[in-house]
Amino acid sequence: MPISAPVFDVQRFSLHDGPGIRSLIFLKGCGLHCAWCQNPESQSTRPVIAFYGDRCLESFECATVCPNDAILRDDYRIDQHKCNRCGLCVEACANGALRLIGEDLTPEELMERLMADFPYYESSGGGITFTGGEPTLHPRFVKRVLELCGESGIHTNLETAGKFEWTTWEPILGLLDLIYFDLKILDEAGHRQNIGPGFTEIVDNARRLVAGGFPVEFRMPLVPGLTDTPQNIDAVISFLHDIDRPSIHLLEYHNMGEAKIDVIQGCQPKLGLDRYSDDRLDVVRREFLDRGIEVPDPS
Amino acid sequence: MSKWRPSPEIAKLHADHQESRAALGAERALHYTDYWKRESGNGKSACMLNAGALADHLERRTIRIYSGEVIVGTHTEHRIGAICHIEKAGSAMLEDLFRFEKRDVNQLRVEPSAKWALLRSAVPYWLNRSLAMQAFPLRERVKYAKDQLGAVDYVINEVGGVAHFLPDHGQLITLGTDGLRAEVEARLLDPELDDNQRDYLRASLVSIEAVERFADRYRDEAMRMGRHDLVEVFNQVPRQPPRNLREALQLIWIFQMLIQIESLDQGVSLGRIDQYLHPLYLEEAKIADFDPDEVRNLFAAFCLKLSEVVPLFSERVTNYFAGLPSGQAASIGGVDASGDDASNELTFLLLDVIEGFKTRQPNWHARISEKSNDDYVKRVVEVVSGGGGSPALYNDDVIMPAMSDRGVESSKVWNYATVGCVEPALSGESFTSSDAAIFNLALSLELVFGDGQKMKPGQSTERPWLHDIESTTQLIERIETITRSRIAGLKHSLDAVERSGAINFPTPLSSLTIGGCIENATDSTQGGARYNASGIQAVGVADLANSLAVIEKLVFHDKHCSLEEMANACATDFEGQDLLRARARRVEGFGNDDPLADQLAEQVVTMFDRCISRHTNTRGGRWMPGYYSMTCHQGFGKKMAAMPSGRRAGRPLADGLAPVDGSDILGPTASLNSVAKLDHQRFGNGINVNIKFDSATVKGDTGRAALRALILGYFAQGGMQVQINVLDPEVLEEAMLDPESHRNLLVRVSGYCAYFVDLTPGMQQELIDRTRQRA
Repeated sequence: MPISAPVFDVQRFSLHDGPGIRSLIFLKGCGLHCAWCQNPESQSTRPVIAFYGDRCLESFECATVCPNDAILRDDYRIDQHKCNRCGLCVEACANGALRLIGEDLTPEELMERLMADFPYYESSGGGITFTGGEPTLHPRFVKRVLELCGESGIHTNLETAGKFEWTTWEPILGLLDLIYFDLKILDEAGHRQNIGPGFTEIVDNARRLVAGGFPVEFRMPLVPGLTDTPQNIDAVISFLHDIDRPSIHLLEYHNMGEAKIDVIQGCQPKLGLDRYSDDRLDVVRREFLDRGIEVPDPS
Repeated sequence: MSKWRPSPEIAKLHADHQESRAALGAERALHYTDYWKRESGNGKSACMLNAGALADHLERRTIRIYSGEVIVGTHTEHRIGAICHIEKAGSAMLEDLFRFEKRDVNQLRVEPSAKWALLRSAVPYWLNRSLAMQAFPLRERVKYAKDQLGAVDYVINEVGGVAHFLPDHGQLITLGTDGLRAEVEARLLDPELDDNQRDYLRASLVSIEAVERFADRYRDEAMRMGRHDLVEVFNQVPRQPPRNLREALQLIWIFQMLIQIESLDQGVSLGRIDQYLHPLYLEEAKIADFDPDEVRNLFAAFCLKLSEVVPLFSERVTNYFAGLPSGQAASIGGVDASGDDASNELTFLLLDVIEGFKTRQPNWHARISEKSNDDYVKRVVEVVSGGGGSPALYNDDVIMPAMSDRGVESSKVWNYATVGCVEPALSGESFTSSDAAIFNLALSLELVFGDGQKMKPGQSTERPWLHDIESTTQLIERIETITRSRIAGLKHSLDAVERSGAINFPTPLSSLTIGGCIENATDSTQGGARYNASGIQAVGVADLANSLAVIEKLVFHDKHCSLEEMANACATDFEGQDLLRARARRVEGFGNDDPLADQLAEQVVTMFDRCISRHTNTRGGRWMPGYYSMTCHQGFGKKMAAMPSGRRAGRPLADGLAPVDGSDILGPTASLNSVAKLDHQRFGNGINVNIKFDSATVKGDTGRAALRALILGYFAQGGMQVQINVLDPEVLEEAMLDPESHRNLLVRVSGYCAYFVDLTPGMQQELIDRTRQRA
């Protein structure tokens, strides 16, 4: 069976997810369910038809082509129980109000898209970054793409929340030039409540990466009241000292993910939080610095 | 960022400038009219008549030296002036004579006495004697005038004169006018010369003397004012070669000024200023108390002089050329004769000036090649990322082969510089008329739809002539047929205009500065230059490519509608056709790395090349295609029906060779890839590609490194030119509401920089709306 993975976006000219000019590969599917998820449309590995109501011209051409009678006339448009994600309605939609999120691509098909920006990877020392979702759900696919990148000398990075099976991933991680590893909540109960399963596996993997000399850098999403509590910050700082890797990238929460919940009829409750304030970020940054943890400037 | 700030003296000069309101310079029109009335019946040759008129005007022109000026002389009797070349397009621009002071944009002060004198004497005299009127037989005049007023088809710029060349300033500073005179006199000794040639050379001598006497008047004025520093300068130049940078810049300004008075205030370009002034810089740097800041301040003063030239455009013309352009391009960097990096200390000082002293002119251009040194490229990008749109960037590795391809000797192309907006030309010996005409290429599709006519707005009708078009290829063939016949019309008019210019209004002074004119003893308008060409610009490439992509997909592939239905949807501006329009806009257009759209764009530019490059001009030079639009994409667009791309009636066309605004949705790399895929070897007359960033994206070391990598990645793939605006849309919106507080906000329009507040409201809005490329 040919290898493929559900890709829900390839974003070009990204300057913030590793060095240089990068293309981000968003892979669908995640085994966690963080309360603040910024890409709720990526959680399921299955493709989903998203509906952008503000673009809809209400011509209902989608209804005339749908073989499963899955078009609703209410705010949601798609009856996800009847929909088999054939994508005919997306084709028929004149104004792009319906979009199929998650396109199965082979590594070779993905590479063809990525190579369009090869001259810019070269001129900038940039490359590609796997993100998601949780890209480690697709080991065979990621491995093949990394091999292809290796042939062209493209810099590679992978962003992970850390829940993956070590034996499967150890050889693949060795192909990467950079690994961004998110530390979210370092307290088992808090983790289980806000993130879900896998606490021990994540902590173990973080330790193994450092111990094995992998090119890993840790990041921490700052979500007001959830990850930035004094206890959690303290736990993260202690952990970083414990594994002898006193450096962290801080990621500020923004609430743009919440708007995406509706378009896919997701069931994730909205937090109703504002984006992270600069003042608060300063306080947290100082806390880390004061306790001997380096905080690189956001690139 | 450089630490240099202009000295208080220069800052004061700048402030004085910003406070002076631009005024109509009427004296040239009045003096030329007097002279022509007096002398034109006396059997004088055209060369002698024009040289005499210039000399007479320069003798009578009101002159002033303003307080604190380091370099002096104005091209009109006002400090910031719009000169009226009454015998050329100036008379047509005077349609606004009673509105210059009241119109919304680019107001011009007009002195009441000048207004009435122009109206009584100059306007009636030139009514039937101007360049355009003498170009055409009576029955064609009306049609020509009608076509050019509110043009939708094309704009013939040569009707205002040619200009658009690179005076050989490098040679002028080594010869002075004494040396020039010696060359002409030596040439006159040749017994083989015919009467015309001898007459031309004698007219040049009249012009040289006129230059010297004009300079003498400034020396006398300086003496009267006790400005001994200036007296000393004028004791040396223009007659003898300058001894230092200040004298050199004064000499260059004298020629810039006088060429623009004689010929036309458009596209008289400075060439490789960091190269030909480098030897004098080195001399100066040897002096014990040498202070590089003085050099920077001197160039800042020079930039102010260049910025005093604003064009005399009526409101109608402003729609096509907004932002007060005068196209005095200046090139820096590039390679030397052996192909190595040519940047030097002076290049870097000039970059400090570009960064720290933003002025409307000159139009700064940085040449970049694979050989460029990293520090130079880094510094250029740093300056660009600071905003202001300068310098625009040119890729030597693409431009030099493209020039060889168009007939310039390969051994000389290293010494190219840019003219006007974006046009590459060989320094000092070419007369390229690079801005001869701007052609609305997108219109050809509307003409196919309308069977040779513009479509009647709002009218759905049977169009049987479209029934036998069965593929995009066949449609492109029809577009080519119509384009060819339109180009033939353009050629007929342009040739007539060129002949009229050559016969009636030769430019002996300008010709002295162009290699070949003295040796051929022939005026540049008559073919005296060593290299001749004419540049014809196409506007609307991306609109046409996107429309063809839509037709390919919706009409021929999906059979969603017929070509006739599509044409009718365009004629009715998609009224009641929201779905069709939405569908059209979903088809990937040029600028998204999409193979279909990019390949159609390539077909469009090669088609235009075939239509253009078969022609030559009346001076024996080739026609060359270029792809920049000034602001004609707005002017043309205003008068056009909707297009299959989904562009609405009356909306602007795409700017230069850039993708349609907002249609390039995959970001700057995809957008530039699409452009770079086009075969740039064909773009002998240059292109402009505008991209915009908000300042947050390109700030800091990371942002600048990304911008540099973006440019180098695009150039490595064969991109020819790019100009980068770094701005905050919020700031532009503020400037629209409160122009007074934003008088110095400089933006790059389409091949040139302009103060934002000098643009038409439509163009201001376009700048705000344009794709904001953001990571």
